[in-house]
Amino acid sequence: MPEVNDPRRGRVNSLQVVARATAGLWHGFMMVLWHLGRRPITEQYPEYKRSLPERTRARIILTRDPDGEERCVACFLCSGVCPVSCISMAAGEREDGRRFAPWFRINFARCIYCGLCEEACPTLAIQLTPFYEFCEPDILTMVAEKKDLLVDHGGKNHDYNFYRFAGVAMVGDKGAHVDEAAPVDLKSNLP
Amino acid sequence: MPKLIIDQRSIEVPAGTKVIAAAEKLGIMIPRFCYHPGLGSFGACRMCAVKFLEGPVKGIEMSCMEDARDGMVVSTTDPEAMEFRQYVIEWLMMHHPLDCPVCDEGGHCLLQDETVSGGHGRRRYLGHKRTYHDQYLGVFVQHEMNRCIHCWRCRNFYQGFAGYRDYGAMQIGNRMYFGRYEDGPLESPFAGNIIDLCPTGVLTDKPCRFVGRRWDFERAPSLCLHCSLGCNTTGSARYRQMWRQEGRFNEMVNGYFICDRGRYGFAYESHPERPRRARVAGLEVAWAEAIQTAAEKLSQIAATAGPAAVACLGSARSSLETQATLQRFCRALGWSEPRYFSVPSQERQVKAAIARLEAPLAVSLREIETADFVLVVGADPVNEAPMLALALRQAWLKGGAVAVLDPRPVFLPFEFEHLPLAPGDLEAALEALTAGAGGTDLLAGGSPWPLLPKIAALGRRLTQTQRPVIVCGTGIVRESTPGLAADLVLRLREAGLNAGLFYLLPGANAFGAGLLSPAGEGLTPLMEDLETGAVKALMVVENDPFWDYPDRGRLVRALDKLELLVALDYLPSPTVQRADIVFPTLTLFERNHSSFVNQEGRLQLAPPVHLGGMPMAQISPEKHPPRTFLSHIPGGEPRTPGEILAELAAAMPAPVTLPGDDLWDWLSRKNPVFANIVSLFESPPGARLIPEAVPAGTFSPAAAPAAAERPPDYLELLLVDLIFGTEELASYSKHIQPAEEPPRLRMHPADAAKLRLSSGDRVALRLLGGTLEVDLQVAENMAPGVLVLPRHRQLNWRLAPDYRVMVAYGDIVKVEA
Repeated sequence: MPEVNDPRRGRVNSLQVVARATAGLWHGFMMVLWHLGRRPITEQYPEYKRSLPERTRARIILTRDPDGEERCVACFLCSGVCPVSCISMAAGEREDGRRFAPWFRINFARCIYCGLCEEACPTLAIQLTPFYEFCEPDILTMVAEKKDLLVDHGGKNHDYNFYRFAGVAMVGDKGAHVDEAAPVDLKSNLP
Repeated sequence: MPKLIIDQRSIEVPAGTKVIAAAEKLGIMIPRFCYHPGLGSFGACRMCAVKFLEGPVKGIEMSCMEDARDGMVVSTTDPEAMEFRQYVIEWLMMHHPLDCPVCDEGGHCLLQDETVSGGHGRRRYLGHKRTYHDQYLGVFVQHEMNRCIHCWRCRNFYQGFAGYRDYGAMQIGNRMYFGRYEDGPLESPFAGNIIDLCPTGVLTDKPCRFVGRRWDFERAPSLCLHCSLGCNTTGSARYRQMWRQEGRFNEMVNGYFICDRGRYGFAYESHPERPRRARVAGLEVAWAEAIQTAAEKLSQIAATAGPAAVACLGSARSSLETQATLQRFCRALGWSEPRYFSVPSQERQVKAAIARLEAPLAVSLREIETADFVLVVGADPVNEAPMLALALRQAWLKGGAVAVLDPRPVFLPFEFEHLPLAPGDLEAALEALTAGAGGTDLLAGGSPWPLLPKIAALGRRLTQTQRPVIVCGTGIVRESTPGLAADLVLRLREAGLNAGLFYLLPGANAFGAGLLSPAGEGLTPLMEDLETGAVKALMVVENDPFWDYPDRGRLVRALDKLELLVALDYLPSPTVQRADIVFPTLTLFERNHSSFVNQEGRLQLAPPVHLGGMPMAQISPEKHPPRTFLSHIPGGEPRTPGEILAELAAAMPAPVTLPGDDLWDWLSRKNPVFANIVSLFESPPGARLIPEAVPAGTFSPAAAPAAAERPPDYLELLLVDLIFGTEELASYSKHIQPAEEPPRLRMHPADAAKLRLSSGDRVALRLLGGTLEVDLQVAENMAPGVLVLPRHRQLNWRLAPDYRVMVAYGDIVKVEA
């Protein structure tokens, strides 16, 4: 469509301009008229709640691995990548030597639901869920502790167990994990 | 001086410099794993490959193995070299596990960095990954051998640099293993350095296990206060608690490394019983109230009993700022000068050493490494100043010789000559060596001293060297020994040798305390003043007489006579528990800058690592941060002694203002060595607080050298240092405590035979203050006639009336089980 006011194109017939504007106006009116007769598609929230896709980014959970153990190993990658610094935690060693987070805190009042934490998480522990309905009058109640975040399922992946691939002796001894050879025998000279 | 071109930039380096080091001077960091400037080249990892375009070497070569030579043109970014390095990374990653999330090295891992920068992402090799069993290596080092990339750095440090043999490489080729022959704690007190050296997460810091990532820590340069050497460290804190110390490069002091006492001694900072609130009569009170009470009571005693009735005791572990402010405070209020040592003999030893240390004589720890002969007199390097042992080893590795004159069973990680002389004989030996260096024939007089021929032989070797260094301890020697060591150095310099002098002092800032202590005999010993009742109020600033005063009974009786005991400290020490008024102070890691003077007079500054306050793990029962907003730091009440003293001075009935900003000016007006303090801060490693004057030697006429007379049937009890367990601050560290070895009394076999005792016997030692039970160890390599007892925290050694005690044979009895 030629640009009306483009000086390079020279003078444009003003009658053409008027005709096109009028057609546009009428098009708009007709559209409204057409929609008047249709069934409304607006969904009334909260009376109607639509189910959101699984990938929707809202409230964060901490999931468990297939053995029921906490997946989080407190590696600090989510807190490191968080652009608004809303995740904080401490790392500790459980009695059996497993690395875990003694406390884990997400300030949902500060969270922007960008999902970078989920992307950074090497153990699939931290996951964003479609649950978005949590408004609180007191901002401090938006600060979620580990007990608020931890769930008893695997979230979007029920099969993955980080320790089966990592190579540290945690689920099974050395050499018992995926793609591992038996440990080197130091007292043997055989090749 | 070869001149070469690296990446189109030319540089001239001293002959013998490797190409990788030359590139580093230009700011080009060639990737490396096995090369370390402190350990040298090894050529194991093949990571530092660069392309030599022109010159004597052509093609892809390892930059750490090639000496820089004239005409070399090197490209570090040549596509061929880059491709080579990418393959190396891929090979190294072939067996590396994918456990970075649970690895403590993750975040500051050299292998991680090089993998990312090399672009390697996907393992192409389809075989299984090699695995190893891990070992228990003691309480300091965590072992995770799967991660190893076989760079050899740990072994090169442990066996090559430090000289201990219990950790090393085993097996061959792809199966190579770095560890011990069997599980067990690493024997070397320098083992922590292999954590810093490991380019990946095989060896990680156990006390700091699973604590945080490098990017989360608050990190700042800091100093080690656990001996007088003043090694440089980097401190890491998180959630208001110190977690880790690493060695920090200082060209003149510690080089790259530190000892384990310095690495893990920091945990006194987060001791659960550390005083955090001001206390009056055992009850926590508001800060202002405590200041008011202390000021009132102190001024009242000063008014009624005279200003001399109030005494102040500083310490050799306080910063120079604290020590100087205390002196200024006492002078401003008209009180007597502060003392800095509770043990008078220590003060005299330190002052004797400082008085003789002049710039032309003093050598740094680094300069010891280039000495060709080191004579250690009255010092046990591994236990008193561990990094000195490593410096001595470097001298030995470069062909120098080390001789030790010391009564203790001294161990050093290399071959050295040990003459086990009784402390009383050290002076005679030094005098004999001085006379020998002056040309006297020591053996002419026909002295009956059996060790004299050996000393004479030592003296002859000493005069044949170029750069000898005399190391003199102050722990067990007589008060005049440091002066005799200086005399020997001066005599050697007169003989044309470039001789150096190196003292060891008791305490991180003993040098500062010595500089500020009154000259000459100074004040009457504090204990006498307390006993006569001349002192009615005592203010103890970061000192704990209960720690180092040898006679516990006398100390308690003297302190009982006090009307008021005020303590300023950060340790939950017995003095603090006893004090009527307690002000909590800050450690060097917290909030303020502090300066310390090491034993060669080097002033070093320690910036704060974190802001202070109660560690997060100690404030809430749930162990997570509180769920309320606070306007203050919990447990953040402690202040610097300087601030507390200024508040006290201002709260006195006749208020005195202590300006806080002109301390250095004030100091430089008091003592000329402080005059160039400004320039010290401008060139931190370069200058020292010692006079520049060239000293003149005053040699006493050589008496006939002879062993000191010793009463028969008596043994001299020496109270000595151990690497772990005898140093005050580190003994409060929960990381050091499990590494302490049980203390033992050591005795020469000849004495043991006379007493019918043998190793492993439980022995009761009757001292003036009571009986001490301890296990006996008979040691061949020590002087006869002495008992060596560590001043261990688990041992009630404070029963002796003095640091120098004679124990009769009859007072050493075997305890039957």
